[in-house]
Amino acid sequence: MNSLKVARMALRAAARSHPVQRRGYADVAPDKLRLSLALPHQTIYKSQDVVQVNIAAESGEMGILAQHVPSIEQLKPGLVEVIEETGGNKQFFLSGGFATVQPGSVLSINAVEGYPLEDFSAENVRNQITEAQKIAAGSGSEQDKAEANIELEVLESLQAALK
Amino acid sequence: MAFAWKAAGITYNRYLAVAARVVRRSLKDDKRLQAERRGEMDLRFAKWEGGKQGENKSLADANQADMAAHAGQSQ
Repeated sequence: MNSLKVARMALRAAARSHPVQRRGYADVAPDKLRLSLALPHQTIYKSQDVVQVNIAAESGEMGILAQHVPSIEQLKPGLVEVIEETGGNKQFFLSGGFATVQPGSVLSINAVEGYPLEDFSAENVRNQITEAQKIAAGSGSEQDKAEANIELEVLESLQAALK
Repeated sequence: MAFAWKAAGITYNRYLAVAARVVRRSLKDDKRLQAERRGEMDLRFAKWEGGKQGENKSLADANQADMAAHAGQSQ
């Protein structure tokens, strides 16, 4: 009985003198941002360390780096640019959503639809702009006109991004 | 921050749906067909009162009617 107690104390002492030298999973490197960019049907980034993320928020374009103050930003339909650790630069057009910076350099972006720019067709965008302009200026219901204006806002942003 | 669509009675949910629909339609044709399927919604609901099922309504139509009724009420 006594030997068991001694053995247990020895084990505890050994564990204490050699603390595990690992960064916990919750800690991000001091100069990196942990990004999660998710759509309902697809995860583009899942807790990946990146250097900088530029987003188009309703309150203005912003660049988010490590140690950013926690904030919640509503996104405009627009471009999100991710500067990765390896120096690569990826751009996605998001249809809208929210970006949340949490304490400890954790950034979560949630959007409904998002695609890299090469997946878009400039011709489809142009056709839709013409259609939406017709509806917005036409004599439909207020709802239809408001929806056409929403479409125009998104399409203009997309057209500017595709140039 | 006053949004034009909010003044017209459109809810944020509907705003997101319209923006997503536009983005899907702007894709190149191969990706577009797959993406458009995500936009389909055909949900029906019925109100139950006193154990009796009410009339089966389409959610899209009910939402549209509600939004038209609330146009101009919120800022």
